[in-house]
Amino acid sequence: MSVDYAAAQLFNGLASGAFYALLALGLSVIFGMLRVINFAHGALFMLGAFATYYGAEAFHVPFYAALIVAPLAVGLFGMAIEVTILRRLRGLDPVYGLLMTFALTLIIVNVVRLMAGPLGSPYSAPDALSGATNLGFTVYPTYRLFVIAVSLAISLLVWWFVERSTLGARVRAATENPVLARAFGVDTNLLITLTFGVGAGIAALAGVLAAPTTNVAPSMGDAIIIYTFAIVVIGGLGSITGSIVAGFALGLLQAIGSVYYPPISTTLIFIVMVLVIIVRPAGLFGKSEEFR
Amino acid sequence: MRLTSVLSFVCAGAILAGPLSFATPVQAAGAAPIKIAVITDMSGVYSALSGQGAVEATKMAVEDFGGKVLGRPIVVDAVDHRNQAALAASKAREEFDSGADLALDLTNSATAIAVASVAKEKHKLAIVTGAGSTDLTGIDCNKYTYQYAYDTYALAHGTGASVAKAGFKTWYGIVPDYAFGKSMLKDFGDAIAPYGGKFIHADLMPLGTTDFSSYMLAAKNAHPQVLALLNAGADTVNSMKAAKQFGLDKQMKIVVGLLFLSDVDALPDVFAGSRITTSWYWDMDNASRAWANRYAARMHGLRPTDIQAADYSATMQWLDAVKATGTTNADKIVAYLDGRKFNDFYAHHGQWRARDHRVLHDMYVVDVLPKSQVKVPHAWFKVVDTIPADKAFRPASQSVCPKNW
Amino acid sequence: MTPRFKILLAVMAVAALALPKLVYPIVAIDVLCFGLFAIGVDLLFGFGGLLSFGQALFWGGSGYLAINVVHHFHGNLALAIVAATGFSLVLGAVAGGICVRRGGIYFAMITLGIAQIGYFLAIQLTNWTGGENGLQIGSRGTFFGFSLENDTAFYFVTLAIVALCVFLVLRVLDSPFGAVLQAIRENESRAIALGYRVNRFKHVLFIMSATLTGLAGALYSLGNHLAGLEMLDWHTSGAAVMMAILGGSATVLGPMLGAALYEGLEYFISKTPFTAGTDLIVGLIFALCVLSFRRGIAGELLARRWRRTST
Repeated sequence: MSVDYAAAQLFNGLASGAFYALLALGLSVIFGMLRVINFAHGALFMLGAFATYYGAEAFHVPFYAALIVAPLAVGLFGMAIEVTILRRLRGLDPVYGLLMTFALTLIIVNVVRLMAGPLGSPYSAPDALSGATNLGFTVYPTYRLFVIAVSLAISLLVWWFVERSTLGARVRAATENPVLARAFGVDTNLLITLTFGVGAGIAALAGVLAAPTTNVAPSMGDAIIIYTFAIVVIGGLGSITGSIVAGFALGLLQAIGSVYYPPISTTLIFIVMVLVIIVRPAGLFGKSEEFR
Repeated sequence: MRLTSVLSFVCAGAILAGPLSFATPVQAAGAAPIKIAVITDMSGVYSALSGQGAVEATKMAVEDFGGKVLGRPIVVDAVDHRNQAALAASKAREEFDSGADLALDLTNSATAIAVASVAKEKHKLAIVTGAGSTDLTGIDCNKYTYQYAYDTYALAHGTGASVAKAGFKTWYGIVPDYAFGKSMLKDFGDAIAPYGGKFIHADLMPLGTTDFSSYMLAAKNAHPQVLALLNAGADTVNSMKAAKQFGLDKQMKIVVGLLFLSDVDALPDVFAGSRITTSWYWDMDNASRAWANRYAARMHGLRPTDIQAADYSATMQWLDAVKATGTTNADKIVAYLDGRKFNDFYAHHGQWRARDHRVLHDMYVVDVLPKSQVKVPHAWFKVVDTIPADKAFRPASQSVCPKNW
Repeated sequence: MTPRFKILLAVMAVAALALPKLVYPIVAIDVLCFGLFAIGVDLLFGFGGLLSFGQALFWGGSGYLAINVVHHFHGNLALAIVAATGFSLVLGAVAGGICVRRGGIYFAMITLGIAQIGYFLAIQLTNWTGGENGLQIGSRGTFFGFSLENDTAFYFVTLAIVALCVFLVLRVLDSPFGAVLQAIRENESRAIALGYRVNRFKHVLFIMSATLTGLAGALYSLGNHLAGLEMLDWHTSGAAVMMAILGGSATVLGPMLGAALYEGLEYFISKTPFTAGTDLIVGLIFALCVLSFRRGIAGELLARRWRRTST
């Protein structure tokens, strides 16, 4: 195997890991704050892609603008969902949050399917990003390098914000002890709504990035949500670091699987998940107090 | 709380009383209608290539036939199987039990095989236009089922032979790791071999693969002359997008195993430049155009796929048979149809082959045109080759149909 | 057993006896099978506090096995049902060992993941599953010498089996085992402090749930003459969860009602031209249920007797 080829396959792994990381990140952010597993995460991902497509079709929004506009729009939509629906389930067992977001997935996906039809909608990468870049040791599609770069940037940004910044510390405090945080004057309701919006926005960003390379169809979130769940379990639910590392790592693992033994490549993530549960139930970076 | 309790009583009552509304009404004796059940995907991923269009095409045939046969009115039932074999089978049973004599279309091989079994059990006819599994005329063949439009053998031998003949010898396969994919791979391999073609490599991709980048890279590295995408649906779209991203469309010829006009309608840029085989194309001659115009008038300008045209053709053929035999009895119709030759705008040199119930007709190899070369809306194809009926399908001598009827 | 419960049970029994006359018999069989499936799911959720999104693994696994047994063993229906149920029992023991290590939310995602492994395996093992085309049998075979080809006959045998299962579940929940389950549901740490091996109980519950679900799957595939990939799809797990909750989790009869509602709704919509909206309508109803109707139909009907799992 030449260096050229090996390097390119590694980049493939990073590119698909980029999507996993972004999605797992969004899911962890939402869980960390709301204690809700957002089953609708895949649907929000799909909405991001569709927003990109419709933005281009109806309003001629260029791709670079869509990278900002679509996450904003879907983020706002997410916040609306949180305020009107999820807030009512707040005091209850988190399982109801999961069930509600499951119902929302059915609703969102089918509304889009009724509006846009079940087949894909066309979307291509902007010309400047099409084509390949010569990195010296390999030549690789520019667009995928762009995806890796954006995902890494956003991942690091969110990680820094949550783990290192003062505002992030306040958010974490509000998560761990909402009553006390409120006593200190923190508007926990607003924080929760914003967090859901941010999580939704990150999912939508992944959708924008996916639009040029994947079939923009109503079912596109369906396939990826189960992988996202597995990755979050592997990384440790609620752990930002865990989501990012597990996301990229499993993307790489999947690419290696595709090269050496394709039949296992899609099942690999679940097998790793089962192993992690047996050996280290809290996930690679999770804290064991997150048991329930 | 009281409101919710009341609601519960109402719900429970509705559930328990609801079934009463479905009680099948007693059939009026005498002019009982002749029923055709179009069982297809009306709302999912295959609804564009078949779906409502298939129902309309069938209704067109019924109307053109005069709306009645043997003094009885003809009724077309649209049944949505939602791509679930169990649902398709149970709906087929229900339709047959309530008087349907023909199950038509059956897009999606799993549902087609399931309904074929029901047709055999009930001694009623099933004509499959929308499914391509060669098992329907192979191990799953039966007396009461015909495969009318295309199958994977015809697709492979059409496209494969056409491209290999033109000198493209080294092939690289992107194949989904299930029955459909493996069957396509085998058929394509057989088709290109006589012209010196062979698969230098074929990756079997597990179900659930959405990222084809690794496979495209491997294909690029192998430098084949042809990239064969032997998958279907969203997989085909994703792999085409990946192929273009890695610049493979500039490096090699791309061949798609299974594609319909409706797929190109949805994503013209993605499929431009690929070569495929189809059983019919609306813009290929005057007779086809004339029918397609009538279809477009009813379907808001959409053009029919080959499956929808096949439904029209099959319906006409069946109604002719009913009239000629004077009955809807499936055994008599099968006896009438077996071996019969016919011709219409859809099927040139058509024949109802008795050996395995494979309906023969000419097949066409077409190139998908880029938007810039399309003169008339929806005119995506350019016919480059016609495969005559006697060569297009698996020869009777090679059939694996047990023919135990 | 409260008077209200007895009334509900009586009404449902009458409806069950009349059902094949009211709807197409296969649909009636489906209602029973999905009902048992939902009861299996609800054993875990309503009575164990464990939401599983992967019970379709047992539904489908047993379904495929039942069809294979009928195919290879000269149509011995009884053997098919017993073998398929046994298979799910064993599989449940193995899978349960992995899944119950984590509770709550994690449990849902882990079961989902394991069911997906099963789905991918089924695609690969085409000799046992027919791959994406599924497996079919021409005739159902014989049940202790009687042919159950007649759909109504099959329905009543299924009804007998399902009724027996419901009776067994009611007995188990009324037993000391059921009492411990309730204790665990109310306060897990206290139950542990009292010395109960909570994970053991959850594991046993998982095995029970898997067994019931497997039996339901076997009956379903035998009733429909086929087993297909949809049986292992996680959307099917999701549908069973919806049935359990709509009908009333934390009640035993509720999931059966939920299955009747779900199947009835699907059937009703299939008769209209609006089949594309089926999942949307189901989603909307379920959302409404989770928002303000969490006890489900039976839960509301029988309230003040059965303890609510959560408010």
